[in-house]
Amino acid sequence: MSSEIEVKTPAELLATETVVERTARFERDAMQYTNQLYAAALRYTKDPHNAQDLVQDTYAKAFTSFHQFEPGTNLKAWLYRILTTTFINTYRKDQRRPLISDGEVEDWQLAAAASHTSDLGKSAEDEVLENLPDGDVKRALQEIPEEFRLAVFYADVEGYSYKEIAEILGIPAGTVMSRLHRGRKLLRVLLMDYAKDRGFGGSDGM
Amino acid sequence: MECNEIMHALILFIDNEIHEEAQVQSFQSHFQNCPQCLNEMEHERQILTRMKTLLADECCEPAPDDLQIRIAKQTALLASQMFSPTQIITEYRRTETTINGQTHIEIETTHEIRGDFPLS
Repeated sequence: MSSEIEVKTPAELLATETVVERTARFERDAMQYTNQLYAAALRYTKDPHNAQDLVQDTYAKAFTSFHQFEPGTNLKAWLYRILTTTFINTYRKDQRRPLISDGEVEDWQLAAAASHTSDLGKSAEDEVLENLPDGDVKRALQEIPEEFRLAVFYADVEGYSYKEIAEILGIPAGTVMSRLHRGRKLLRVLLMDYAKDRGFGGSDGM
Repeated sequence: MECNEIMHALILFIDNEIHEEAQVQSFQSHFQNCPQCLNEMEHERQILTRMKTLLADECCEPAPDDLQIRIAKQTALLASQMFSPTQIITEYRRTETTINGQTHIEIETTHEIRGDFPLS
């Protein structure tokens, strides 16, 4: 006896999906990420008002192209990719600020990094990190250049692999590695700077 | 592997981004024989773990409630536009008045939107 039940592939289901079904699927699957998208958007725009607009625009794009999302793949990463392109197309265009290339930052900031970390030493750094006041890490992350900030956010807050970050940011995996490497170093330099400003390491420790 | 090669690729090792088992093995055998590199690796890994905890604790701002509402409304509106082709009828009315040789032109535009909005 053969079964009368027709088994449809996800692609077939998607092709026959009604607007009501799609809306329900979107609300069920995509809306659960608003908090994470908002936290990510704050890393892009640095400003709560623009971050809200960016998230809203991202959801508009995501909904209108939701039929292109392949069910079973990573929906949150797909939304982050849309967040990135929306930011580049809408928000960054307005700012017209010159982008610092990776190489330029390396020269001066990493030279600073090398001298800073050596003048207080490893155990001092451990101690600073153990006793950091609330808000320091967030402030430091917001201060480093955007391209480094985003790599650090996706790797160290969201826990994505280099390959996944490369897809989200639309850059090669090798670039992810170098941005992440530099971004983390810069963060550590800033955290040590804040600690020194508060008098950590003695007054002669400048 | 030499110490400088190990140090150069340390970030890949710590991030678990070395996908070839043989390469992971050569890192591990180097660490077994080189206390300085082992120490450096452990220190870096410890700092990274600490940084990740701090970052995760501070970079998790919840979205404001009204943002959720704005998005829900937007989704409903977009869905309703997908539902049926919307007709937009635009009418232009141009009025030209000339008084004592002075011409005044007034253009009035009206848009009428026709369609079913089942979700709105």
